[in-house]
Amino acid sequence: MSRRHFKFVLLALTFILIFSLGSAVLAQDATEMRLVWWGSQSRHDRTIAVVEMYEAENPGLDIVYEFANFNDYWTLMNTQAAGGELACVMQQDYAYLSEWARRGLLAPLDPFIEQGLLDTSTIDDTYLEGGRVDGQLYGMNLGSNSQSIILDLDAFEQAGMDLPDPQWTWDDFEQVATELHDKLGIYAYGSPDLGDDQIWTAMMVSLGVNPFNDAGTDFGYTDDQPIIDHFNRLLRLQEAGVIQSYEEIQAAASTGPENSPIVTAEAAMQYQWSNQVVAIFSAAGENRHFKLWPMPRPEGARSANYLKPSMFFSIPEACEMKEEAAKFISFFVNDLEANEILFAERGVPVSSGVREHLQPMLDEVGAETFDFLERVAADASPIFPPNPPGYNDIRNNVWIPLFKEPVLYEQIPVEEGMAIFRSEAQAILAGNE
Amino acid sequence: MSEPIATLPVSKRVDEAASEAASQPKRRSRGFKQNNAVGYLFISPWLIGFLLFSFIPIAISLYLAFTNYDLLSGGEWTGLRNFERMFTQDIRYGRSMIATFKYVLLVVPLRLMFALAVAMLLNTKRRGVYWFRAAYYIPSIIGASVAVAVMWRQLFGPQGVINAIAQLLGFDPINWLGNPDTAIWTLVILAVWQFGSPMLIFLAGLRQIPSELYEAASIDGATSWQRFYRVTLPLLTPIIFFNLIMQIIANFRVFTQAFIVTAGGPLDTTLFYTLYLYRRAFNDFQMGYASAMAWVLLLIIGFFTALSFRLSRYWVFYETKEG
Amino acid sequence: MQQALTLDQLKLQQQRSKRRRGVVYYVGVILIAAFMLYPVVWLVASSLKAPDEIWTNVASLIPSEFHFENYAEGWSGFGGITFATFFRNSFIVAGFGTLFTVVSSAIVAYGFARVKFVGSGIWFSIMLLTLMLPNQILMIPQYIIFNQLDWINTFLPLLVPKLGGDVFFIFMIIQFIRGIPVDLDEAAMIDGCSKTGIFFRIILPQIVPALVTAAIFSFYWTWEDFLGPLVYLQDPNLYTVSLALRAFADTGSVTNWGAVFAMLTLSLVPVILIFVFFQRYLVEGIATTGLKG
Repeated sequence: MSRRHFKFVLLALTFILIFSLGSAVLAQDATEMRLVWWGSQSRHDRTIAVVEMYEAENPGLDIVYEFANFNDYWTLMNTQAAGGELACVMQQDYAYLSEWARRGLLAPLDPFIEQGLLDTSTIDDTYLEGGRVDGQLYGMNLGSNSQSIILDLDAFEQAGMDLPDPQWTWDDFEQVATELHDKLGIYAYGSPDLGDDQIWTAMMVSLGVNPFNDAGTDFGYTDDQPIIDHFNRLLRLQEAGVIQSYEEIQAAASTGPENSPIVTAEAAMQYQWSNQVVAIFSAAGENRHFKLWPMPRPEGARSANYLKPSMFFSIPEACEMKEEAAKFISFFVNDLEANEILFAERGVPVSSGVREHLQPMLDEVGAETFDFLERVAADASPIFPPNPPGYNDIRNNVWIPLFKEPVLYEQIPVEEGMAIFRSEAQAILAGNE
Repeated sequence: MSEPIATLPVSKRVDEAASEAASQPKRRSRGFKQNNAVGYLFISPWLIGFLLFSFIPIAISLYLAFTNYDLLSGGEWTGLRNFERMFTQDIRYGRSMIATFKYVLLVVPLRLMFALAVAMLLNTKRRGVYWFRAAYYIPSIIGASVAVAVMWRQLFGPQGVINAIAQLLGFDPINWLGNPDTAIWTLVILAVWQFGSPMLIFLAGLRQIPSELYEAASIDGATSWQRFYRVTLPLLTPIIFFNLIMQIIANFRVFTQAFIVTAGGPLDTTLFYTLYLYRRAFNDFQMGYASAMAWVLLLIIGFFTALSFRLSRYWVFYETKEG
Repeated sequence: MQQALTLDQLKLQQQRSKRRRGVVYYVGVILIAAFMLYPVVWLVASSLKAPDEIWTNVASLIPSEFHFENYAEGWSGFGGITFATFFRNSFIVAGFGTLFTVVSSAIVAYGFARVKFVGSGIWFSIMLLTLMLPNQILMIPQYIIFNQLDWINTFLPLLVPKLGGDVFFIFMIIQFIRGIPVDLDEAAMIDGCSKTGIFFRIILPQIVPALVTAAIFSFYWTWEDFLGPLVYLQDPNLYTVSLALRAFADTGSVTNWGAVFAMLTLSLVPVILIFVFFQRYLVEGIATTGLKG
């Protein structure tokens, strides 16, 4: 062996040593509270500004924050959960809340409300309801949200048509769409497709049943006919060229809302959650006019709209400074100045005080969203209980690939697809027993 | 070797083939005395890194393949349940297999041929060739970004450039991304278009061929095709072999393109194996099942790699064999 | 006289056909380059478009109005952490990462290619096998290990494993070394050169093209990797460019696409520069210097 060998080893060891020392120094922390959220640039900027505001008011507290986009966020959260390294305040989503809460990863917030650390005095209980799992509050609603159909007012005007009845049914939708298409020659409806699983669940809510039973071990209804009817209607409409076919929807240049057909004026209506319409309004430019409309409902049913928390803040069980976390959430939801910065970017604020405070400052899109939620709230159906564990499995591996896509690609009849869906989903739900 | 390949465990096969490859010099005892201390010293960086950072995670993932671990809470031992489910119940698993094999069979040969052809073209001292090399490498570095997703979807869109050209040539426009029969082609073309890395490796390999050999061949009156066939190709075989192996491995593991451009659709026709595995692990919380999928993939790739090593002795030319 | 003329004519003819071939060559090469450069042109154009034009005029390669403020908006980053920070972090990670990877890979490759030792075949196949396992599956166990080491929120999990080299490059360099005639090794050995001596004096100068290739790839792969930084870096002050770029775009909220494309364009610049800088050595590889005995 020559001396060069030892140089290699020595070099490698030195590297490791230096870095270990470096990390040891970096790892020493003061009173740190970690906060994580998902979003895009505007949300990051606003949230960071509020964090700095809170730190200025609470000297000695250091909030360390992390952010990512929605997809990356959940990869990160799953990794951190597996590693037992969750933050003190984490943004949560309705789709995941019950799964996380039932696995004991989240702390209930009720004790903090009782202690007065988390102020809910100006928040109506209907806004809190969506954050409850098995009777306990696990997520603080950060903004209210509902499904909507965006109407292109210019297209309606050009067609010489009145806006539909706000309590319209799917039959009305079909008729309005056909008329729009006949008169304008464009698609009455573009993307995203109307076979979305959240349209299915909303349909169940408006029929007065829950999608799943209370234990989450089976469906909460037995009659599949309304869904079968809905898909037959979609097939009729896409065949007639009234709405974009599923194949055409798949071919869009972007899967995001910015490039959807309503933006490019290729379609006159679009289904969207109300907190996402800002992206569409701004991508379409200033000289277009849109209005948010409630969802169509099945014949004779009650409202298909319900108020859904757009996202939550939750406190993971692993957090060691839960009181501090609760105080921060309280500030985030209630403080007027902070909400001037946040400016309803996460959905319409749940605190009535904040809503009133922001109302006069709103721009056109903001005013339309606030107004829409108020209109919807008047006769909204109650939200169904959070989805049972395995819902994502059902959605990703059964609803979309085994039912929706084969049916809308006309590879199998609706009835056959529905039967497959029911049996495959039941097999997954049975795992919750 | 006369024993049927299929009866051996894959790891053993790879092992044999590899030992063949890695310790080729053993055929020539002259000058290559065995020297364990020096050998291990040289490979120690990798060995230490492997033992510290990879070995335990790999062992854990093997264990998890036999459990129902769901990321958020500990898993229970379920024996072969995951594998049984994969092969007998999971319809999407079959779809992902079909998509992956189709992709590998199309991309590996196309990409290698294209990369080699372009490398030959750019292996010259003509003026400005620098810039062409940089230009040709550019698609590969734009690779995995959101820009490629948007641009590619727009290129193949109903009003995109590709359809414009098709119409100019008298073909009907095709809904490339929406049609389950054609969607995979958009990804194949993307992969072939991003031929930069094998091209660069070929270029490096071409630089290593001594120019004396070309001169000698020219003096013998060889045509350029003969020079390519007699000098370039044989001397390049170790590099071709490397690129082949790496393209097989990389394309079986293809993830990013489908992840950002097609998201696996339509109708799961681009639901590549690793994409499906990732979704199962991180969207559906089925890490145990995903681990089982990963190990099956390892067996599949291992089989094809071992096969390539086996076959390599018939066509790969190493300097060390001569003498 | 007669003969001299024909010789001249012959030369002239050869020259002409050479020039003609040159023209064909350049036309072909430029045509292909146009296909290859399209994305960059498109990207730069998109980075200068107004937010509504990006989507209503996707295919156009010339913005109707130039919006240079996209670059300023993008550069400003998030909450006061600008892209200057992200670029610095990326340079640290990709720079050191590349250095570690290339040096270690060359050493390990030499060990496998030119030293005979017990177990070399087994270790080589284990090494290849690690390349076949999807790394998505190893992410969580690795995270737990680095968490135990208290390395989370530092660059260590991204850099230290690179000291072990990269299997892709190790295998690549092995293949290059095996293309080098053993006679050279033997001659050196007879001169009393040790294995290490052979590595430095004989092998290393010969595998420069391979090392350069490895450096180019390694830099780019580290530069574009976001999964490692996503999982291991918590403090946004440590975010790399690739990670920051992903934090721009979110399907559920408003995305400033102009800024995304602007920063994406900027993020390509270092990678292209590295390529242009290093490929010089690709051309001046050892093959032309005639070291071969």
